[in-house]
Amino acid sequence: MTENKNKASLKSVLSISNPKVFDAVKMMISILIALAITFVVLCLVSSNPVNAMITILTGPLSKTRYIGAVIESFIPYAFAGLAAGVLFSAGAFNLGAEGIFILSGAVVTAIAITPVTTSPVLHPILCFLGAMIFGGVLMILPSFLKAKFGTNEMVVSLMLNSIYAGIAAYVVRTFLGTLKRGGNSSKDYLATAKIPYLYQPLRITACFFLLIAVTIILYLVMKKSRLGYQIRLAGSNPRFAEYSGISAFKLAISTAAIAGVLSGMGAATCLLTQTTFYTPSQSLVGIGFSGMLLSMLGRNNPIGIVIAAFMIKYLEQGTAVLYFVDTSVPSEIVAIVEGIIIMLISSQHFLRKFRERRLLKEGLEEHAE
Amino acid sequence: MLSSVISTLFTMRFIQAIIRMSTPILFAALGAFVAASTGIGNIAIESIMTFAALTGVLGSYLFNNAVVGVLFGLVIGILTALLITFFSMKLGADAFLIMIALNTFADSVAIFVLYQITGDKGTTASLTTPILYTWDIPIIKDIPILGEILSGQYVLTYLCWLIIIVLFIVIYKTPLGMRMRACGLNADAARTAGINVERLQVLSLILSGVFAALGGVYLSLNYLKIFSKGMVSGQGWMGVAANGIANGNYWSLVLSAVIFAVFRAVSIIFSSNSAFPTDLVGAIPYFSVFVILTVVSIVNYYRVKRGKVEEN
Amino acid sequence: MSETILKLDKVTKVYPNGTVANRDINMEFEKGEIHSVVGENGAGKSTLMKMIFGIEKPSSGTITYKGEETHFNSSMDAIHVGIGMVHQHFMLIPSFSIVDNIILGEEPTKGVFIDTKEAAKRCQELSDKYDFELDVTAKVSTLSVAKRQKVEILKTLYRNAELIILDEPTSVLTPQETEKLFDQLRFFKEQGHTIIFISHKLEEVKQISDKISVIRNGVSKGTYLNSELTMEQLTNLIIGRDLDNDMDEYKTHEDFHNEKALEVKGLHMERNGKPVLNNVSFAVKCGEILGVAGVEGNGQQELVKCITGLEETKYTGEIYICGKTVGDMNIRGRRDIGMAYIPEDRMVDGVAGNLPISDNLISTYYTREDINGKVFMDSKAIAKVSDNLIKTFAVKTKNADTTVNSLSGGNVQKVVVAREYNTNSKFMIAEQPTHGIDIGSAEFVHHKLIEMRNAGAGILLVSADLNEVVDLSDRIIVMFNGKIAGYFPDANNVNESDLGMYMLGAKRQSEEEIGGALND
Repeated sequence: MTENKNKASLKSVLSISNPKVFDAVKMMISILIALAITFVVLCLVSSNPVNAMITILTGPLSKTRYIGAVIESFIPYAFAGLAAGVLFSAGAFNLGAEGIFILSGAVVTAIAITPVTTSPVLHPILCFLGAMIFGGVLMILPSFLKAKFGTNEMVVSLMLNSIYAGIAAYVVRTFLGTLKRGGNSSKDYLATAKIPYLYQPLRITACFFLLIAVTIILYLVMKKSRLGYQIRLAGSNPRFAEYSGISAFKLAISTAAIAGVLSGMGAATCLLTQTTFYTPSQSLVGIGFSGMLLSMLGRNNPIGIVIAAFMIKYLEQGTAVLYFVDTSVPSEIVAIVEGIIIMLISSQHFLRKFRERRLLKEGLEEHAE
Repeated sequence: MLSSVISTLFTMRFIQAIIRMSTPILFAALGAFVAASTGIGNIAIESIMTFAALTGVLGSYLFNNAVVGVLFGLVIGILTALLITFFSMKLGADAFLIMIALNTFADSVAIFVLYQITGDKGTTASLTTPILYTWDIPIIKDIPILGEILSGQYVLTYLCWLIIIVLFIVIYKTPLGMRMRACGLNADAARTAGINVERLQVLSLILSGVFAALGGVYLSLNYLKIFSKGMVSGQGWMGVAANGIANGNYWSLVLSAVIFAVFRAVSIIFSSNSAFPTDLVGAIPYFSVFVILTVVSIVNYYRVKRGKVEEN
Repeated sequence: MSETILKLDKVTKVYPNGTVANRDINMEFEKGEIHSVVGENGAGKSTLMKMIFGIEKPSSGTITYKGEETHFNSSMDAIHVGIGMVHQHFMLIPSFSIVDNIILGEEPTKGVFIDTKEAAKRCQELSDKYDFELDVTAKVSTLSVAKRQKVEILKTLYRNAELIILDEPTSVLTPQETEKLFDQLRFFKEQGHTIIFISHKLEEVKQISDKISVIRNGVSKGTYLNSELTMEQLTNLIIGRDLDNDMDEYKTHEDFHNEKALEVKGLHMERNGKPVLNNVSFAVKCGEILGVAGVEGNGQQELVKCITGLEETKYTGEIYICGKTVGDMNIRGRRDIGMAYIPEDRMVDGVAGNLPISDNLISTYYTREDINGKVFMDSKAIAKVSDNLIKTFAVKTKNADTTVNSLSGGNVQKVVVAREYNTNSKFMIAEQPTHGIDIGSAEFVHHKLIEMRNAGAGILLVSADLNEVVDLSDRIIVMFNGKIAGYFPDANNVNESDLGMYMLGAKRQSEEEIGGALND
């Protein structure tokens, strides 16, 4: 009897009717479909699609420095993804991370080119703090307007992105720039501000560990804390959250602030490791927007988001490797993979028939017992 | 110097510029409005404009005919709309997420295609593309002032104003329009009155895609005459914002779109004068949308507080 | 002489998730009769009607209308052959005029345009023919509930419906309005229309029907001539046992009465320049249930919103919860000083459907010490609390991790009531607490409310179901047009049709009498 029960429970754990198993299967099938479509696209554009596909998938593993490049470049994207994840979980469509990245990049730069301290430890920390505080405060604006007056936060945040980009360009050109680079870029960062490699071949820096720490903390906050509970409630049914006495206003402000802080961190990690100066029209462009896609890929789960960021950057590195031998495939193809996976996994009915048949069968079996 | 800039604000050319610049925003606004009339928030306008602007140029280049280019743009607009409906209605995805995703990787997809065809990731400048023409209206063009303003605009601008009038009549005076509005106001009520709500929503999304696509091809085949990366630059969002401000009022929709165009025109005039910081001047249109949207919502907030509500 | 207009033959409906809503239903409806279909909420009446009206398709079995088997793809097809339905929740567009609501989907045209003149003429003629006393150019948003229902009926008549299905049409009406509706239904019958009347109010069913069909648990329990069926038999057929009408615990508990759970003084609020709450004053004592009766839309919703702090529009007047003034406290503050709230629309305000039951069972007191650790929430304690509540409230579910969406309406409501019960509040607002749930769950909810009252809580009961108000309350106030129109200090001695007069505004007490609501 007990044995029977155990068997049954094991079956139900592994069964497709278990939502977690179903989600995992769905994710894998989505990835496979996306890769299949990518292959079709490669057939259209590349003279050697099989080789191209293999290179994209395995290329980054062929040299240590390729993997190093992935490790270095995925970190700011992961931060952007985490920022978007916090907002999306709370049901907020504040798309302002892009602008926060670009503007807090200017803050990082301002501190990094100024000899505020001679300590190589303190200097980057000050850069981080500046960007985080600045990002946290600025990100609040669209969410505040939404929570207080019902202003369309999506449009507002997008407009602010353009406004912030303009301000960042102006500030860098006017106050932080150097004629050496045509006026569009900042002066070089001071050596004390740069974050050194801890393990050069894989380009591991303290930022890598910062990301891991932040991810774990965020995961715990989302799953276990009262704030995470509030976010879950508001994201699922904002009216219910309000009814339950959770202040939509406070929650909107605090989630936006967290997302802004994360965005500021992301901007700092990118600039202090990957560049020596700041070009507002280039250095950080697109990271904030990518973060939203990563958040959707990772289903708003902090750990999922970080994995997604790594995966996407890995594929981009794969196309970069491919580019040495086959220039017909630009890195933008990764966006197509990304788009297809996102659309499939956010489709509730995708594979649903399959699951329903299972549920129906199990339901009947249960009934028969 | 400032006075010279200000004086340009009162010239014919400035008014002409406003008319030219309001066209894509109006198309975007019409797209947002027609989708919203059946209760669908189409926030993919920006990406549809990007897709259509690119395919418009490509179609025009491939067939050496700008009208074919426009048709290409329209087809991609319709296909994008169908893609959204397929995922949201057939596969049960959150339409909002699908559209955000579309917007976010629209530029990448456009660049991918652009690169395959031109070998360039920035513009279609290397392609010789026939473009659409302007139209000198007989008789009217000879009237002083009025002729200068009304005549000699791009053909799609005239189409835009024609659509504004026709769409108004369709939405407010015909059975189709009444049914569409019913879907938006109370889908269940419409359904029980025997209306196929989903079909009308698909129709409105397709129309929305068509209008957005017209805005896109206007940019690449009329106004700028090439496709370049990031050329839509928020004009689709301005249409969405105009729709939000109008809140179902058709003529406020049109007015809001035109006001945004005024700020675009102002921004361009100021940026041609080196005395002003271009980076900041370039942000004027976005700033205007931000301010107007915010002010309108604050006003509405206090109206509700004071007990003034609009019944729908 | 009898001619079968609609025949159901072994109609079965199984939903994709495996729920069997109807099983082998056989039923016959004759032309020109008023035929009631009764059963508990959740018994399968609505599904059956949806199949007749083409909204759902039967999984097996046939529906024959006027001798022809139907294969409706949508309600459009049903409308075309002459079937009309008046839904329980009105399917109207408030910002449209009556005319536009009626003609929607069947618009008369002139060229490509809507022929507005012709439309108005036809609608006015129809309204006059059936003596509906409507100005068809008026906006629906300006109409009373009873008038909106008339518009719904006109919609079906405009489409030449011969068979009209009315789904719980009396649930929102006063006794007087119900009486009038019945007259109209009898008139339709004379004109040759067939009426299918869906209701759970058995007295009304007995009053109006020629025939009665009973559904229990998705299965037909037969069709009977009204004249051959007693009330007891009918009740038995519906629930399969006698109703527990034991009123013993329905007595007041005066020991708590010197404390007040709620005091409302001079509450006033305007919308578009018109008062929606007009100088409303009353009190709920601890250990009593104060019932608020009234036709929907007479200020009850606004009253509740003002008390809970969810109202967006500014109001004047004073509200005290458990003796403390609420000022401009938000709902959190009001909950903290002792308020609990069962909301009207459980799916919209009362739960987060895609979250587990356990998350839903703690939302209003998630900061409480017993379910929190030093840093994080205590998931073990939460599991314990929710398992206990699930057991005490007999929520039918596998476990606390199941999402609320997968529960039936009655069980969702139990989750809501369980959570609010567990706040141990001194003051509870129960807004339509049993709306649309099965009799078993409704009884359960009623018992819990009484249990709370007996333990000393003050309960403000707002319900459109007059029976519920009268049965449960100790005192009753009647709202009309944003004002308290009547106050009844002893709910055991009120006459429902008398209450109806106040609900309609036909009667009004003096200020002095009404003052008792606050001062008694």
